[in-house]
Amino acid sequence: MLMRRYHLMSSITIDTSASRKIKELLKFLLESGKIDAAVTMRKIPENNSYDLALITNASNLDEAVPVVPVMTVNAGQVLSSISTSGKKMAVVLKPCELRAFVELVKREQGSFENLLTISHTCGGVFPLELVEKGQIEELLPKYEKNVSKGEVPANTRDTCRACEHFIPMNADITVSVAGECESGKGCMMYFNTEKAEKFTEGFAGERSEQKFDPSVLQKTLDARLAEKEKLFSSTKKDGPGLDGLLDLFGKCVGCHGCSNVCPICYCLLCDFESANFDYNLPYFEEHLSRRGALRLPPDTIFFHLGRLTHMSFSCVGCGMCSDVCPVGIPVAAVFKKTGEKTAAIFDYVPGRDVEESIPVMVYKEEELSDIG
Amino acid sequence: MTDTERKGAVLPVAKEPGDTVLDFLRMAMTKEAADAVILPMKVPSGDSYAWILMNDISLLDDAVPIVPTMPVQGAKALRSLTRKGPGNLKVIAVMRPCEIRAAMELSKLGQVHSENLILATYDCPGAVQLQKYVDDPAGGDERFSGMLKKGNPDDSAKSVCHYCENFSIFDSDIHFGYLGLSEKEVLLVPGSGKGTEFLEELGLDLKKDLSSWEKGIEEIRADRVKTRKNSFEETEIQLRDIDGLLSVFANCIGCHNCQSACPICYCRLCYFDSETAEQDPDALITAAEKRGGISLPVDRIMFHTGRMAHMSLSCVSCGQCSDACPVSIPVADVFSYVADQTQNTFEYIAGLNDGDPLPLRQFRKAELPGVHELVKDADAEVPSHE
Repeated sequence: MLMRRYHLMSSITIDTSASRKIKELLKFLLESGKIDAAVTMRKIPENNSYDLALITNASNLDEAVPVVPVMTVNAGQVLSSISTSGKKMAVVLKPCELRAFVELVKREQGSFENLLTISHTCGGVFPLELVEKGQIEELLPKYEKNVSKGEVPANTRDTCRACEHFIPMNADITVSVAGECESGKGCMMYFNTEKAEKFTEGFAGERSEQKFDPSVLQKTLDARLAEKEKLFSSTKKDGPGLDGLLDLFGKCVGCHGCSNVCPICYCLLCDFESANFDYNLPYFEEHLSRRGALRLPPDTIFFHLGRLTHMSFSCVGCGMCSDVCPVGIPVAAVFKKTGEKTAAIFDYVPGRDVEESIPVMVYKEEELSDIG
Repeated sequence: MTDTERKGAVLPVAKEPGDTVLDFLRMAMTKEAADAVILPMKVPSGDSYAWILMNDISLLDDAVPIVPTMPVQGAKALRSLTRKGPGNLKVIAVMRPCEIRAAMELSKLGQVHSENLILATYDCPGAVQLQKYVDDPAGGDERFSGMLKKGNPDDSAKSVCHYCENFSIFDSDIHFGYLGLSEKEVLLVPGSGKGTEFLEELGLDLKKDLSSWEKGIEEIRADRVKTRKNSFEETEIQLRDIDGLLSVFANCIGCHNCQSACPICYCRLCYFDSETAEQDPDALITAAEKRGGISLPVDRIMFHTGRMAHMSLSCVSCGQCSDACPVSIPVADVFSYVADQTQNTFEYIAGLNDGDPLPLRQFRKAELPGVHELVKDADAEVPSHE
C-alpha cells in the first residue's frame, strides 16, 4: 500500500553509521555534479546548536549531520520555497518532513521534479528546549541504544513517541536506522526509484536486492501505538466540549507561533490575522450587554478550531507547534488526535502518496447526489 | 504637568494594593463614571490570566488588577477593542506602565483610539516570566507578592524588569502609587487633564502631597538605573561584532513569535512573512554557492535587524519577545539596548509624552539642510533651484 510507485530497485549494506553513509552519498552527488545543492541538518559546534543548511560545496559537508534527532524547522516547509528552483537537489528529510512536503506539493506549493529525496527510519526528535540547553550530545548515546533496540527513546517530542509513521513512505532513497541494526542485518540503504538508481550510478557499495523488511520494526510499532493510546487519552482532560477546549487552550496568548511553524498551514495571510477579525465597537458592545464580559483579544478558541478545520486532515504530527508554544499547550497532541479522526473519515493518510487528492478539494460523484 | 505640581488622593487601604484598586473600580462603576473595565482574570486551567472586558460589577471579585505575570501585552487587548474607533463605551483599563506606554505608541499609529478610555497604571515591581508562572502558578504568586513587598523584581522576573526605569508614575490618566512608602497606603495620582477631571467628578480630594512617595520611587529608580547600565554593558560586549550578533541569534528557528508577541510590531503583514521577502529559489542557490552553504530558512538575522529598524524607536522594553521565544534567545535585552540608543538619538522615550509625534513621522526644518549636505558629500548632483 505504501509504495505503489516506489519499489525496491537495489540496496547496499552500510558499513558505517547511517549519518556518515548519507554524507558520503551527498559528497559523491555534489562532487560528481549530479546535484547542484544538498539540504541536510548541520551542526554548528561554536554555538553548540544545529540548523538546516543548503550546501553547494562538498567541502562544506564536514559539519553535516544528516541523521540527528533535532528538528529546528520542518524541512518540508522550507523546501516549499526552494524546490521550484531549476537546480537539482538532494534533500535529507525525516519521514514527517517528507509527508508534510507531499501535502504542500498537492497544494502546488512545491515540486518533486528536481529533488532526490533521502529519508530514514526515525526514532523521533528532541524538543527544541533540550537543543537550546545544549543537552543533545549527552542524550544521544542512550537515544541510539533505545532506537537500535526498538524502544521509544525518552525525552523526545510527545507526538514522536506516538508516531507510527516512522518508516519513510515514499522517498527515493531510504536508510534504515531504527531497529534493524540490532537484528544483525546492519543498516541498509535502499534505492526505491529509477531516479535514485540514476543519481547514484557509480556510488560505492555492492548492490544487492535485499528488501526492506518492516517486520523487524514490529516491536517499535507496538511500542509507539501504546504511547499513542496513552497520549490521546491524556489530552481528554476534563471532558470534551467547550469546557475541555477552554481548559486546554484558555491560556493561549494568541502569538500564532503554532501556525507560523506548521509546515501544513499554507495560507500566506492567515484569516485570523486579516482585517476580517478587526471588529467594530458595536460587536464588543453587543457581546458585553449580552454576556457581561468578554475576552480581549477575542477569538482565542476560534483560532484553534479554525486551524483544525483548515489543516488537521493534512497534519503529519511533527510536533513543531507544541515546541514553539510559549505557554506549553499540548497543541500537537490535540491536532494529531483530531487530524487522525478527520483523515480517517476519508480513508486519507497525509503524505502517503502525492497522487492522492486532498479530501476537501475533490468531489466524488456519489457525494454530489446529496446536494439538493 | 510637572512632577512638582502633582497632587493626589489617598484611597482607603484594603488588604493589598490590588484590592484597593478593585474597591476604586467598584466605586467608579457604581457611580456610573465608567461603563466597563478591562482587567486580568485567571483562565479556567488556573495557570495563567486573560484580559477581560467586563461591565458586570460582580465579576470584579474574581479579577486580579495587579497581576503576577504578563500573558498578553495589554496594548494588544486595547488595540483589539479600539482599532476601528473609540466607540461609545467609557472603559477603564488597569495595566502595567509598559503596557499603557505601548498603547500610547499604537495610538500615534492610529491603531488604538483612547478617546473614551481611562488608562490606569500602577507601581510595577516587575513581572514573573510567563513560562515560569505557567509551570508553577502558586510559586509565581508567592514570588510576585514578595516582589510587591520589596518593590524590586527577583530572579523569577523578566530580565528587562530589573532595569526598567519607567515602572511608576508617568502621564497615564490615573496612577496607583504604593511602592516605596513607609506607611501602608495607596495614592491615586492623576497624570492627565482627563484623569484629573475623572477623579474630580468622582468627588476625590486631590490635595495629598506626594513628595514622600516620589522620593521612595526615586530610590528604587536609582537601583534600576545602575542595573540598566551594567546590563547594557554586558549586551554591548555580546554584540561586539557580527560573530557576536550571529551567536546571540544562533538558535533562532524563524518562528517570529517575538514579533507576534510584540505590542509595537504594527504591520498587518510583516515584510518578512510576505511574498516580497520570499527569495527566488535560484537566488538562494547562488547565495549558497558564494559561501559553500547557507542556513535555512534564510534571513533569520535579517529578520531581527529589520524588526529593530522598524520598531525600536517605539520599543517599551516590556520583554514579551523574550517570554515568547521557544529557544530562550534574550531578544528583549538586545532590543532594549538598541532601543535605548535609537530613542536617545531623537531624544524620544517611547510611550511617554503623548504629544510627541513618532520621530520618523515628522520632519523638522532643521533636519532638511542636512539632507542637502549628504547629497553633496555623496558627490551627486544637487538640484539647481536651491
